[in-house]
Amino acid sequence: MTAILTMGRIFRGRWLATAGLCWLILVALAAIFAPLVAPYDPLEFDPLVRLSPPSQEHLFGTDHFGRDSFSRSLYGARMAIVIGFGSVVVALVAGGLAGMISAYFTRLGHVIMRIVDVLMAFPALLLALVLMTLLERSVVNTVIVIGIVYATTTARILFGMTLKLKGEVFVDAATCSGAGHASILFRHILPNLVSPLLVQASFIFAFAQLQAAALDFLGLGLPPEVPSWGNMLSESRIYVTRASWLLLFPGALIILSVFSMNLVGDALRDSIDPRFRNDIKGV
Amino acid sequence: MTDAAPLLQVRDLKTHFTFRAPSTGVLPGPKRVLKAVDGVSFDLAEGEVLGIVGESGCGKSTVGRTLTKLEPATSGEALFRGRDILGLSAGAFRPLRREIQMIFQDPFASLNPRLTIEQTLAEPVRIHGLARTREEVRARISDTLVKVGLDPKVMTRYPHEFSGGQRQRIGIARVMIVEPRLVIADEAVSALDVSIQAQVLNLIKDLQRDSGISMLFISHDLGVVRHISDRVAVMYLGRIVETAPKAAIFEKPAHPYTRLLLASIPRIRPGRQPVVDLGEPASAASPPSGCAFHPRCPLATDICRSTRPDPVDLGNGRSSACHHAGQLLGEAA
Repeated sequence: MTAILTMGRIFRGRWLATAGLCWLILVALAAIFAPLVAPYDPLEFDPLVRLSPPSQEHLFGTDHFGRDSFSRSLYGARMAIVIGFGSVVVALVAGGLAGMISAYFTRLGHVIMRIVDVLMAFPALLLALVLMTLLERSVVNTVIVIGIVYATTTARILFGMTLKLKGEVFVDAATCSGAGHASILFRHILPNLVSPLLVQASFIFAFAQLQAAALDFLGLGLPPEVPSWGNMLSESRIYVTRASWLLLFPGALIILSVFSMNLVGDALRDSIDPRFRNDIKGV
Repeated sequence: MTDAAPLLQVRDLKTHFTFRAPSTGVLPGPKRVLKAVDGVSFDLAEGEVLGIVGESGCGKSTVGRTLTKLEPATSGEALFRGRDILGLSAGAFRPLRREIQMIFQDPFASLNPRLTIEQTLAEPVRIHGLARTREEVRARISDTLVKVGLDPKVMTRYPHEFSGGQRQRIGIARVMIVEPRLVIADEAVSALDVSIQAQVLNLIKDLQRDSGISMLFISHDLGVVRHISDRVAVMYLGRIVETAPKAAIFEKPAHPYTRLLLASIPRIRPGRQPVVDLGEPASAASPPSGCAFHPRCPLATDICRSTRPDPVDLGNGRSSACHHAGQLLGEAA
């Protein structure tokens, strides 16, 4: 009940964010119920109907193996959610802890942040490529690698913000109250980092999709048999002139999901920061 | 004031900060030492309020921050009930934090914006184990809020919903909730509107008197210090230059710097002298030789330029670190 009330408060007067939330719920439902909803097996070949345009039998058309694009898209939603949330969790936990601890314990921080600097010297895709070549192609490894790539930027951002918060008077006040390091870090500093973490999370969720698609494209991401929106895009790129629907649908799904996540992230940020609570207006 | 052993005895306290001077080349600049507090000694009796005044940058806030161990002391000792607190580890000092509390200057910065008033006030209660159940904690918070003149209902709200004066009351509640013995008030009312200052100052004074708390009241505002203190210590460039009972210091300052400070208070009275221009204080990073005050002192002689005066006991609880203190007192008499 309180959860519903909270949701009502967050999304009141924000029709665009609400639409985004509805879309994400739809994607989540598609992911959960994919086996029930999908009209075909996403892996089943049907050479007779290969590259057929969208029709009543095949809503999103079929690919070069004659696999039903709609069924593959439904299963692809699973991968989108797993990759998105997995990368967000890995990046925020690893990057957040590294950044916060580095800023709080400055000596140790010098070492940690130099390692982060080295990792950040690689372009994101190159770093992901290097790490993926060392690991087997699997869903878990893809999540970890993308998470590590974005942990670096998260660590940088939280390092700066923690450094600033550490000098706040309320931290001195907490020290005078007898609070220890852990309490100051997680009870006093962390709640003040929720907004940047949420913004960071929506950004990572979005870019993880693109990163995963890029890795799929280069043959180093998810195993090729896994139906993901990224794999669908990369497999059908050579058919773009003959079967544009094969790019159109997964591409649109990626864009819509990324956009929705950003809208929801914005709404969440505004509501969690009590200073914004009373002036949520417009979208 | 009582004649019992002082609650707090500070002996030759020094807090120095090292920093790097601006670099002139690729290599980092040379290390420099800023002597923010450079040999401060004073006693604070049970139930006594000692005002510490001085210009900004004289080290008065650093004294407070060092005594609460927010800054590490460089040397010296601070005996709280006869036990040195400066050498204690963070863990060993934690139980004493309940007894030594601090009121901060900026009521907007000193409350965590993400915590409700209840969460903020519950923290010290929980840390020091002052209440067992959730109801006990809440009852204690209610009592304390009433004590500082707030409605207990406000505890569910966030700091941004309060005015500066109300926030400072919450800050005072956070201090009073643990029933401290020593409160260090660092410019506790300076950030407030003048109309609110008096209210909050009176609240602090009432609470101090009712519970017999000892207090170090740090301020640049002589009027405020005069209102609340029993004794006043005047600081200049990291040292105490004069200590005296309140009445004496305002009547007959025994240090030329105190005199200058008193003369600089703006008065709205026709025919009086215009406000005195204090000039710029010397830098604590490169203090002058001899008496640190000599470049600005109207009485400065050769001895002031070469020899640093030590505090001299003038009787009646007064002391002054000035070569010409006797002359000053004689003049005023």
